[in-house]
Amino acid sequence: MVKLPSIHIGKLSLLLAILVWLSLLFVDLVRIFGMINELDSGISEEITWILEILFFFTLYAFYNYSIGKISQGDFLNLIWRGASTGLFASGVGLVIELFYLSLGESKIGTEPFLQNFFYHVNFAWTSIFLISTALLWKHLILYQKSKQVVKQWQAFEFAMLVAAFFVFFNKNNFDYSFLFGLVILLILSIVLSGNLKWIPYLTFKEKWKSLLFLSIILLSAGFLFRRLISYGTDDRLQINLTDNLFLMALFGFIFIYALFSFLVTLFNLPTSSVFEQKLTEAINFQRLSQSIQPEENEEQVLDILMDSCMSASYSDGAWLELNEEEHSHQEQVRFMDLETKKEIAEWIKTQKAAEIWAIGEKPEQLNPLSIRLDHPKFESALLVPLVINKAVIGRMVLCKEVKDGFNKEMVNIISTFTRQACIAVENHRLLNQAIQNERYQEELKIAQRVQKALLPTRLDHPKSFAICAYSNAADEVGGDYYDTFKLDESRYVLIIGDVSGKGTSAAFHMSQMKGIFHSLIQLGLSPAEFMIKANSALSKCLERNHFITASIFIIDLEKKEICHSRAGHVPTLVYAAKEQKSEFLMFDGLGLGILRNNLYENHVQEKTFRYEPGDILVLITDGIVEAKNQKGLQFGFERVKSLVEINHTKTPKEIEQVLIDSLHSFVGGDGMIDDDYSLMVVKFE
Amino acid sequence: MLRLEKSKETQFDILSLHGEVDASNSVILDKAIQELSDGGAKLILIDGSQLEYISSAGLGVFMSYLEDFSEKGIQLSIFGLSQKVYEVFKILGLDQLIPLFSTKQEAIAGTHEV
Repeated sequence: MVKLPSIHIGKLSLLLAILVWLSLLFVDLVRIFGMINELDSGISEEITWILEILFFFTLYAFYNYSIGKISQGDFLNLIWRGASTGLFASGVGLVIELFYLSLGESKIGTEPFLQNFFYHVNFAWTSIFLISTALLWKHLILYQKSKQVVKQWQAFEFAMLVAAFFVFFNKNNFDYSFLFGLVILLILSIVLSGNLKWIPYLTFKEKWKSLLFLSIILLSAGFLFRRLISYGTDDRLQINLTDNLFLMALFGFIFIYALFSFLVTLFNLPTSSVFEQKLTEAINFQRLSQSIQPEENEEQVLDILMDSCMSASYSDGAWLELNEEEHSHQEQVRFMDLETKKEIAEWIKTQKAAEIWAIGEKPEQLNPLSIRLDHPKFESALLVPLVINKAVIGRMVLCKEVKDGFNKEMVNIISTFTRQACIAVENHRLLNQAIQNERYQEELKIAQRVQKALLPTRLDHPKSFAICAYSNAADEVGGDYYDTFKLDESRYVLIIGDVSGKGTSAAFHMSQMKGIFHSLIQLGLSPAEFMIKANSALSKCLERNHFITASIFIIDLEKKEICHSRAGHVPTLVYAAKEQKSEFLMFDGLGLGILRNNLYENHVQEKTFRYEPGDILVLITDGIVEAKNQKGLQFGFERVKSLVEINHTKTPKEIEQVLIDSLHSFVGGDGMIDDDYSLMVVKFE
Repeated sequence: MLRLEKSKETQFDILSLHGEVDASNSVILDKAIQELSDGGAKLILIDGSQLEYISSAGLGVFMSYLEDFSEKGIQLSIFGLSQKVYEVFKILGLDQLIPLFSTKQEAIAGTHEV
């Protein structure tokens, strides 16, 4: 398939049009030469007609192509093209007329070949003007087209096609068939001229311009028509190209549509501001609904709101104020100085109606209130509430220089604008909140990861005892801590701690606790000394109402002894294998950070006891004993005790699992333990 | 759930705690004690007979006033604690710092001795 590049269609048709015109000129001149000299040139008039029709077609193709490229909606540009072509065509006609006037009855003035040449030039330009303008009209008619309009246009084009070939039938005579055809085409033109939907979209200024251009087109069409008529009656021209149904009907069409457009535009002038207003309102409304992107801020939304409302109500001045604390700096004043704004605000305060309006009713049912003003400049005002989430967050005050300046329509549209803007602001806030929350969640996840890393992944222990530990936080992060240390080959330390409260603050204190414990443990202190030092260190960094409880065990493998100190922590369960009994190690010991002076020394004790193979230590935090079931009953010490006694033959890991499973089944399937809980189980071999 | 009742007798103020004190409502308790202290109370008796549970956050409230009260010469004692709640005070060691009594009479007598 040979495919012509689309770019060349315009140039090609233009070239063809010129060639056709030249050959038409040549053929006609040859025919005239023949007529004058009464010779048979051998060229029949049909050839002239065919060339003429061809010329019309190529012009049609060229303009159809070049106008098609103009973007839709630029009506003024379209009309200007028609007007400029009209001006040029008329100009050419005028110059030729003046040229002949100046020549008078001289020899050149009556020279038939020259006369015919100019006639052809005139004919060409008139055709160009008519065909191009007809295609411009097509664009205007088919603006916001319906199926029906498209059909009407197709019928008209078909009729014009028939009219172009009509010359073969009619032989350029002005008879009844010619008149009949003309009448039909004019009726079609009138029907099509009802399609003027583009006019309302012109602004006031554009309407004036289009009136000017349309009158140019009307004048050009009139002038060119008069020229052709005068040619038609001129006997000196033997060849008549212009008494043609096609051209005459086009004249009619161009003229009628231009006339209709002119009149409709003229009568639309007074109401155009209303249409413009409505269009602006629609656009403003759209801007308000689109202004909820997170990158736009509330001020921009309120900005648009004020502009929209002021233009919708023709207000002469306005201000907008927010009464929320964090946004109270947001105040916008338009077309009035702050002094005036203050005066009016004071006056509004004295008005009873405004007062009742501000406090009465539910905020979501609050409507704008129109009041009279007693002010040298402004005569009336409209109070518009800004309601977000059922709360009044501020108000907008619109002022006008005329009395009772706000009618029902304005109030309605302003209410709608305000509602839309408030929704936009609300959405904007919610979106920001959601983004913020997302960020917090992300941060908490990081905190959780960091905190998990604070607990040991492996516990130091010799072969002579087995150990395991478990910790679970009620929130993302918690305040429980456990660890083991190897002091030397025969001495190991076990430690468990619990920060009061839970969540983020507890987690921060927990990391401080770990730091302090790690430093102190290196010093080889006795358990009681360890607690005294830990108390004095923690007293300096804990919040006033926070404390830490902890238990420390120093296991001496050689002596088979455990030295233990307790700082307010939940007593540790010791299972003695020999007696097959267990008990909680309860003795005095004050929590860390409660007494923040050296009196603490009096409140800490140390206990040393021996252990045997098979003995078990269970270190727990209060989260376990205080865990409640749905009846409000606590898990308690006794349950821990009996569970350990029953399962004493099991490994630490198994005991741990038994305790955790029992705890969960006690609390209930989907019950939540709302405190951090941890446990550490040690079993001696 | 925590409900507080304040009553004033000639020589002392009584603050009765009903229900549970945990992290979510310890602020209310803190505020109540602060108010009593600001109001010039010199003897504060806490009636814990209706207190069902106290979490570490609740204990933290009592703890935070220890130093403050000893400086200002305000006496705070608690009476009527159930065995379970008493255990909690004891485990933390607060029984060594805050006088705990079993009845109101004992508390009044005990406080006057000091």
